[in-house]
Amino acid sequence: MPAPGIAGRGALTVALSFYTVYAVGPMIWLAMMSLRTTQEINLDHYGLPQVLHWWKFQAAWVNSNYGTYFWNSVWVVVASVTAVTLIGAMAAYCLARYRFPGNRAVLLAIFSSIILPPQITIISLFQVMVEYRLFNTLTGLILVYIGTQLPLTVYLLESFFSRIPQDLFDAAKIDGCSDLEMFRRIGVPIGAPAIVTTVILNFILLWNEFLYAVVLITDDGNRTLPLGIQKFIGDQFSDIGMVATGAMISIVPVILLYFVFSERIIQGMTAGAIK
Amino acid sequence: MRWRRSASAAPWGTIACFLAPALTIYVALTIYPILRTIYNSFLQIRPRGREAFVGWENYAVLFADPTFWRSAAHTVLWAIVAPVVDVAVGLLLALCLYAAIPFSRFFRVAWFAPVLISYVVVAIMWSWIYNFDWGLVNLGLAAFGLEDWRRTWLGDPNFALAALIVVDVWKWTGFNMIVCLAALHALPREVMEAAELDNCGWMAKLYYVAVPMIGSTLIGLLVLGFIGKMKVFDLVWIMTRGGPLWSTETVSTYVYKRAFDWNTFDLGYPSAIATVWFAVILACVIAATAYGRRRPQLEY
Repeated sequence: MPAPGIAGRGALTVALSFYTVYAVGPMIWLAMMSLRTTQEINLDHYGLPQVLHWWKFQAAWVNSNYGTYFWNSVWVVVASVTAVTLIGAMAAYCLARYRFPGNRAVLLAIFSSIILPPQITIISLFQVMVEYRLFNTLTGLILVYIGTQLPLTVYLLESFFSRIPQDLFDAAKIDGCSDLEMFRRIGVPIGAPAIVTTVILNFILLWNEFLYAVVLITDDGNRTLPLGIQKFIGDQFSDIGMVATGAMISIVPVILLYFVFSERIIQGMTAGAIK
Repeated sequence: MRWRRSASAAPWGTIACFLAPALTIYVALTIYPILRTIYNSFLQIRPRGREAFVGWENYAVLFADPTFWRSAAHTVLWAIVAPVVDVAVGLLLALCLYAAIPFSRFFRVAWFAPVLISYVVVAIMWSWIYNFDWGLVNLGLAAFGLEDWRRTWLGDPNFALAALIVVDVWKWTGFNMIVCLAALHALPREVMEAAELDNCGWMAKLYYVAVPMIGSTLIGLLVLGFIGKMKVFDLVWIMTRGGPLWSTETVSTYVYKRAFDWNTFDLGYPSAIATVWFAVILACVIAATAYGRRRPQLEY
């Protein structure tokens, strides 16, 4: 791109600064509020924290039950991501490596469900969960999450596995590897970067998931973080300081993950979008 | 469909072992629920398993339901406006980063950050920004002497939907930017350099070189955005619950209300809405795919 003139460059700088403030301003504001008490916020909504009230995080964690919501979220997300990664990787590997009638049809069917609106399944999933006594349980939510993330996982991993050269597998076969061993000793290690990408992507998507959780979980003790925050707004809307603290508790893990794995997250998202 | 020469044959037993868990989950938690929802749409379902077959009645009610049509209109409007803005702004931002402006690394991270935040948190932040007394929007208007323009943005039926769409755009622009940037980086360097030698202006280069060359990505993003917005739920539910006066009702929130929030306890009617909407999305996707196939791919 050519360097625009001085005037153009100035205008561009101003526009981009504005955009940056617009993009991250709300989050920085939220972070500041999370360290200020509600009284302080009510006096000046846009003030800087004078004293850093770190105790608010402990208060949110203990008194407002965010500790429970946090660990529920951790358990649900870790369990479903682990399961969907394993199940999805096996299916993707099989669809990428083996030739059999119906191969393409299965692949197409699984990843065409990426486009499904959740409403088409959610009403009957609700019925199924009630019938099998999984309604209002974290196990039920985990099962549903495995189902929702399976298409994306298979989609991303299949394209990666199909690029592993066949020679590697042929060599392993000569060495007497069984099919399952080939998956474990060649597919998984070589596919590791793609697997890590799907793990992180699924983690973020499920960590933020709201619709299935709000339908399938009603018991306070089983709420995940997004539900916990929403309930807190409903209960005590005036306590904005505490709402901000709770919101920060849910943001921090994702932001940390992003700082460590930003390249992988971007790879996963762009691979899902353009192919 | 491409067929890979490299793939090898394997015994059915092995294939079954690899595929069984995924197929079980897929059939149990996707296929079966879809079929059951479609079946439900012909029933009236009251609590404790009292079901009655009502034929096409739910559909007849649906077509005469003004709230459904309003929510459908809102959703379609959202699904068209938001992706266009997302992609246009995302492309401009991506071009800035591609041109390697100073601090581009920082900008890339900052602009992408909203994508990572959950809708619940996004909704909270923005309902504060829209607050009448101390929200940034009204304070900003007052600072520019536009006191008369101040509004309860989420409480005014004329502005609530637009206010929600702004928030949605805020969240997703960064995603479109990153995808556009990846597409631009995938272009061969020479094309841009050739345009540079020909002394193309910024706009000309944007219009004649960048946009056509990543055209398929842009269309892909528009389609992806469209599909995503046709499902929009979280933001609306947390910020306005479809109100005031149905002015932000979307199909998803309406289904949710009818199924789980109102005390009608009928799962049949919302199933009919879900089924109709499923058909609409499917038809749109099929049409978009057919259109995409017909367009000649630009070679480079």
